[in-house]
Amino acid sequence: MTAVTGASDAGHRTLIRAGGIICSRPAVYVCCGPGAISGLATTLTAYSHVAAGPPSAERRTTLLAPGGSVEAAASAFEAGADAVYIGLKGWSRGGARNELDRGQLQECIERAQGLGKKVQLALNIIPGTPERKRLLHELGEVAAWGLHAVIVNDLGVLRDIRRNLPELAITVSIGCGALNADDVLFYQDLGASAVVLPGYLEPLEVAAIKGRSSVAIELMLHMVEEFAQLGKCWMPSYYHFAAAERIQPPPRLDGSVKRGGVGTCFRICQQPWKLLRDGVEVDNRVLPSRQISRLAELGEFLEAGIDVIKIQGRSLSPEMVGTLTGRYRSALDAWNRGSRLDWDAASLPPMWTVQGR
Amino acid sequence: MQTFELNTTISNLRSLRETDLSQYDAVYLGNIYCRTFQENFLERLDDLSEGIAQVKDRGLRAYVTTYAAPRNDALPKVQKALETAANVGADAIEVHNMGVLLMVHEQFPGLPVHIGGFANVYTDAGAAVLKEHGAARFTPNYEISLDEIKAIAHSVSLPAEILVHGKMPLGVSDSCFLLEYESQWDEKCPAVCQKDLFLRQRDWAMRSVGRGVLSGKDVCMLEHLPALVADGYRMFRIEAAYETPAYRFNLARIYRSALERVAQGDNTVDELAWHTVRQHTAVGLCNGFYFGRTGGEYVGSQGAAAEVCWLGTR
Repeated sequence: MTAVTGASDAGHRTLIRAGGIICSRPAVYVCCGPGAISGLATTLTAYSHVAAGPPSAERRTTLLAPGGSVEAAASAFEAGADAVYIGLKGWSRGGARNELDRGQLQECIERAQGLGKKVQLALNIIPGTPERKRLLHELGEVAAWGLHAVIVNDLGVLRDIRRNLPELAITVSIGCGALNADDVLFYQDLGASAVVLPGYLEPLEVAAIKGRSSVAIELMLHMVEEFAQLGKCWMPSYYHFAAAERIQPPPRLDGSVKRGGVGTCFRICQQPWKLLRDGVEVDNRVLPSRQISRLAELGEFLEAGIDVIKIQGRSLSPEMVGTLTGRYRSALDAWNRGSRLDWDAASLPPMWTVQGR
Repeated sequence: MQTFELNTTISNLRSLRETDLSQYDAVYLGNIYCRTFQENFLERLDDLSEGIAQVKDRGLRAYVTTYAAPRNDALPKVQKALETAANVGADAIEVHNMGVLLMVHEQFPGLPVHIGGFANVYTDAGAAVLKEHGAARFTPNYEISLDEIKAIAHSVSLPAEILVHGKMPLGVSDSCFLLEYESQWDEKCPAVCQKDLFLRQRDWAMRSVGRGVLSGKDVCMLEHLPALVADGYRMFRIEAAYETPAYRFNLARIYRSALERVAQGDNTVDELAWHTVRQHTAVGLCNGFYFGRTGGEYVGSQGAAAEVCWLGTR
């Protein structure tokens, strides 16, 4: 089957086929969003590789788990994670709760190296000019320990790291808000090695993005989707712009969740709000959010070509990180063996929620 | 004589026709939140052509804004909107999304780019990257202070556009929760978000627009205009995508008058202007994050007007 749903003025055409995507970089825009998927969804049959045989051994999908503590990182590795991502004190979004100090980071990197695994560093704050210089200096030191990649949340930081540490892989955080193929190309052009996309994208969208880009695609298949998109929300600071926790060094930035302020996301979207319509109260509600666990659709995403399965949740306990990682490991291994996946989304334990980032 | 640009946002042709634009210098056409917003310029390309022509016929600059968070399915239409903008002679494209920025930069290099508030310009380093991609001006992320904005603009030599009045964007969503109410309200999309919809919790308020959340209070920088002008800012926005034509006109009249007085060295604001501002504020006033404080606070002489005062109580 071939479906052509969009074309540029240059006449380029994108062909979506059940087995893959053929397209080129020039302006090709394919309708693969939620509105266009329904008619095409059956073309990417889940687990179709079962009939076709196991996937090529040369393509290996990485399972990336959260390491909010040394224990959580160890648990993730034990459960089958190929890599963990860790926040360094002062330099990661979401505050100090789930960050490691330099000694703990080094311990995790050494453990990973001993196991043949990897560590990514979440440097996903948006530092001001003075902080940026310190960040680059500190990053240069920890990169030398054997860090695999750094996760960034800001164009300027991306550019600075690419220029100053050209050997270090750079992952564009989900907080940068990449959603479409051109977003990914933009970050690719800036020197990113990987881009994280939200788990609410559909397999066809991911396939289209993968088909037009050459960077690694990380998909956060296990995450909380809150009402406002990650990286595009400043509702909390509109109400409470927390005073800075002025520790020198490292600094903490004033209030902003987006920039990496201390404890400032107090889940304002999850508090009860009265909805007023033309001045009349018509409802009392929280803004919608949902736990995304797309384990049941893992095969479709793997066929779409994702390079990294990412699990959100540096706030999760070591036990829960281990359980979650193990489930995804089992599913990934089954798919790699060409076995049918039998995970049922409805069977996922309701406790598998991300309690905070 | 100092020259200023006062601009606003209008989402569809009907609203454009109903608005007296005599106090404005430029208009952003389109709705950045939702593809199904009623008669959105970005989805109705004939309307977009007509809108650009109408704005230019009135001697104003016509800018086309673009989606804050487009997924792949929106890109073909964005492409067409950019082609339309280029063909009809739009004066600039406002970009919030890096993918759209790349499209403009590579395919329409002649179109100046205005970086929008959802593009998250927080630092000089980020602004410098955007400038390399054709940015001619930037609206800073709403969370940063005037001091930070000034430092960025100076460091990168990129002029900043300042939101001086209206409801400040606070977030954008991938889905519209108002669709849950279609049957209950017996109203379908796209009419369902056309009402005055506020979220209220104690004395906090936000304006809901379905796929987006705006500040409940109106950002008001009227009494701070002299300082803004003294700091070199010349481009000012009245954010009114979800406001009435009367709101757009009356607030623009006040700000135009204030800017003209500032240009003549008169930094006063008359009481009648404040009366009009209060009349057009459903919930209260704030300064956003310009003074490094919580976005919902107000700094200045109009503190009383900043207090939450619910619909119908003024």
